[in-house]
Amino acid sequence: MKTLRSRLMAGGFAAMAAALLCACAVTGVGVEGSVGYAGGYYEPYGYDYGGWGAGYRVGPGRCCDHRDDHPVDRGHAGHAPAYRAAPAGRSAPSIPSRSRSH
Amino acid sequence: MKCTYRRRYGLPSLLASVLFLGSALAHAADFQLPALNSPASAERHAGKMVWADLITPDLAAAEKFYGGLFGWTFQSIRAGDVNYAVAMLDGRPIGGIVEKAIPAGQHQQSAWLTFLATSNVDDTKKLAVSHGAKVLDDIKSYPMRGRQCVLSDPEGAVFALLASSSGDTPDYLPAAGDWIWTSLHAKDAGTEAAFYQNLLGYDVFDLPSDDGLEHLILSTDNYARASANDLERGSARRHSHWLNFVRVNNAAETAAKVLAMGGRVLVEPRVDRHGGMLAVFADPAGAPFGVMEWSESDTKAEPQ
Repeated sequence: MKTLRSRLMAGGFAAMAAALLCACAVTGVGVEGSVGYAGGYYEPYGYDYGGWGAGYRVGPGRCCDHRDDHPVDRGHAGHAPAYRAAPAGRSAPSIPSRSRSH
Repeated sequence: MKCTYRRRYGLPSLLASVLFLGSALAHAADFQLPALNSPASAERHAGKMVWADLITPDLAAAEKFYGGLFGWTFQSIRAGDVNYAVAMLDGRPIGGIVEKAIPAGQHQQSAWLTFLATSNVDDTKKLAVSHGAKVLDDIKSYPMRGRQCVLSDPEGAVFALLASSSGDTPDYLPAAGDWIWTSLHAKDAGTEAAFYQNLLGYDVFDLPSDDGLEHLILSTDNYARASANDLERGSARRHSHWLNFVRVNNAAETAAKVLAMGGRVLVEPRVDRHGGMLAVFADPAGAPFGVMEWSESDTKAEPQ
């Protein structure tokens, strides 16, 4: 009898614990910054996103832009770049040109 | 006796089981995010920006703003305490908006989260962590979408990885209103480019610049996927971040619309590397995003 009681109680508690854990996962409890979905994060407040200088270019070029002849890390002049630069003979590619309707 | 025990201890077990099943079903029903591609595609393009999520305190205002600006339509998903809308362009899902209240007295910056494609999110996450990334939201699976996680890179720029279960978005020239580009702005673009190169296998091209700052093109499959740029110097109020661009037909007209709808211009329309105009705005909640003109003739030939 004792064994039966213990088994039933243990089963009940285990199921309750599992139910609680599952409910927490649905609401995102216990995960800082989470809203129950792994997407969407507030950034820190009070930073500048604009104020770009005239030569600040961030977009892709057209096909086959010329490379910088001296690819060094400008933040650490004279040092080799931290990345592995694409082979010198290759030009920088552009974005796809094929249109969806074709 | 046996019956008494069953009644006494069996009832809690039964109730708990029902609770458990209910919770499990609710979890399964949680977030039926649409597939990236319908029908599924076999294409894989590591390092390509394939999705973006906006977090904002006012979902209705965001829908009104982006719908009016880019012609997006929205499909609402509500699960648990999460209010989410899928942004659609010409019937295709291209991004999402997550609503989350900002607690009174707190300041937080609404932002777009950039999702980069990978074929194996588990391996890429491990690699990222071993190279200094932090896990902000660990890997989760969504039945039709795939597996994704949210990380911050070694400089703190937040990004997400997505292994889509329906393949990656095919390599077409995006239509007006669709995402066309993403750029990383970092204190040390070279070191950050190396981090992402280790993760996603980018080819890195250093382009000449007039401003003495490093501007790098990151490519895979012989297509430019993103750029990594040194942050402008001279202000402590800058932090590393990703910035996403939507293709538009006229950046100046878009700027006027942004202002009329309560947004702000952060970077006035200007000519960028490809010869077309580019601009950066903040939506009414302050989330930064860019727009880029790209005429059909801007890409004259497929890269070899």
